[in-house]
Amino acid sequence: MDKQDEVSQPTGLERIATGVPGLDEVLKGGFYEGAVYIVRGTPGAGKTILANQICFHHARQGKRALFVTLLAESHARMLQHLEQMSFYDAQMIPKFVYYISAFRVLEENGLKGMMDLLRREMRAHDATILILDGLIAVEETSTSDREFRKFIHELQAHAAAAGCCTLLLTNGRRGEYHPEHTMVDGLITLEDMPYGKRRIRELEVRKFRGSASLRGRHPFQITDGGLVVHPRPESRFQRNTDNGRTDRLSTGVEPLDKMTGGGLMAGSSTLLLGPSGSGKTTLGTAFLQRSSKAEPGLHFGFYESPERLIANASLLGIDLQSRVAAGHLEVLWRPTVERILDSLGNELIEAVRRRKVRRLFIDGWGGFAAAAESHERLSPFFAALANELRSLGVNTVCAIETENLIGPELHLPIDGVSAMSENMIVLRYAEYHTRLYRLLSIMKVRGGGFDSTLREFRIDSDGLQLADSFQGAESMLSGFGKERPRKRAAKTKQGRRAGAGRRSRT
Amino acid sequence: MQTVLVVDDEFGVAEVLQSILEDEGYRVVTAINGKQALARLSEFTPDLIMLDYMMPIMDGTQTLTAIRNEPAFARIPIIMMSSLEEVSVRETCTGYNTFLRKPFRAMAVVKLVEQLLAQASGK
Repeated sequence: MDKQDEVSQPTGLERIATGVPGLDEVLKGGFYEGAVYIVRGTPGAGKTILANQICFHHARQGKRALFVTLLAESHARMLQHLEQMSFYDAQMIPKFVYYISAFRVLEENGLKGMMDLLRREMRAHDATILILDGLIAVEETSTSDREFRKFIHELQAHAAAAGCCTLLLTNGRRGEYHPEHTMVDGLITLEDMPYGKRRIRELEVRKFRGSASLRGRHPFQITDGGLVVHPRPESRFQRNTDNGRTDRLSTGVEPLDKMTGGGLMAGSSTLLLGPSGSGKTTLGTAFLQRSSKAEPGLHFGFYESPERLIANASLLGIDLQSRVAAGHLEVLWRPTVERILDSLGNELIEAVRRRKVRRLFIDGWGGFAAAAESHERLSPFFAALANELRSLGVNTVCAIETENLIGPELHLPIDGVSAMSENMIVLRYAEYHTRLYRLLSIMKVRGGGFDSTLREFRIDSDGLQLADSFQGAESMLSGFGKERPRKRAAKTKQGRRAGAGRRSRT
Repeated sequence: MQTVLVVDDEFGVAEVLQSILEDEGYRVVTAINGKQALARLSEFTPDLIMLDYMMPIMDGTQTLTAIRNEPAFARIPIIMMSSLEEVSVRETCTGYNTFLRKPFRAMAVVKLVEQLLAQASGK
């Protein structure tokens, strides 16, 4: 069954929250009590940390967990490593989290002895979470697949009877098909995937009985606080609600407001396209300068520190400092170093939700692109973010750097982006009369009715100016403007009239 | 030859302790939980017991209580072992002679066993 299908939740079954940031959202509420799940992953993927993190979270709720190891890391070593993790609390051991080894029992008494031990210990410790670390040892001890499947089946029965959620940790040594996967209530895989020279840890819920879950591979990190899962924005944000508003917001630049027919439509997204240095950040900060209590602003940037951004804006007469001081504007800086795309997307949406942001400037799209593990992800990722921001009623301005510095062509670094945004403003460079000018033009505005004139975009100590500097010019968009030849134009006009006259006489 | 009873559920721990102590000339008998340890005690009386705190079926605290309640074993020196700090163990468990935190070094084990056996024999 496709897990994105809506599946009604089984009645009467309690959910057990994992407490792992992001995982409960992926599982849409956590594991089910009394259910058995396999957590599969290569050595070092994070299975043991994940399981311990879940146990200690459970313990903090006053509930009990039993951690049973087979041929795994020794308890002493494991606890030494866990001591570095913030979720670890020695006070919880042994009352709320209890560790035992079952390997000798398995060796001496086989699967039956092992089952007796698990059943007895589950009851003795009143455990509502059982971890069995090293399922592979059970499998290797079993004399046949049938005996192993019987063990899993019996464990399911005991777990259900005890209301004890059971996680079986195992590595992915065998092939893809494991008969036991068809038996258990869920299968979660942890992998460490190479992407070029980077590696990204990914979690996937391959099977989850009784509930939908967020599909696909979700990146995760192992931090000092344990695992942090970053649910994939494409699976997380699937609504696209038009807020229905028709009012307009100032761009922060009065002449641009006139060009757009009164500002940007509320809840719309605007792309600011242009090469490096063309003024995208300046326009964006002018937009944010209008942040207020009624329209909280957010600068989500990758390239400039908050201090530098504010100081640079100040040189142009754009006062961001007072907006920040008043709490009307937040500046978030995420330098583009080994970032996880999903984490960035989620952080952005979280920051928007937290302060009910209405004015958002993303500076710029390249920061997301640098974090993406593949170029193909960018388009659906952008669509998911744009839809969620639109549904939240945010007015988004996003800077996108175009590849060519000067010239007639406009190379966008992402496919299909224009279809996902309501407004497009293009900034270019053009040479005219041996001087380099910045040009501003509007390519698209939601609701239409915009001024398509090419304007000179001046940035100086007087702030931002839009000027009609090119009335006598042509070919400005080629990057090399020239004076329109007035005489030839007049002659051509006369010629056309004459031609029209000849046609009318025949 | 002095005999040490090592009680630990975890594979590897009892084996390592057995090797370390046998190299020092001790006889070592092992058990994987408290219940099995009590069964061993019905067969012989060790000179020292090394007891793990967390075990299935019968844990270190229960085993210690059972041993101390039996007059014949009440004076056997006991080393309680755990991956936890002693302060956590002492909250629920008293009556042992000394504590050994895991993971341990061979020299520390030998020194501790020698000291305890010397104390017990009044040397």
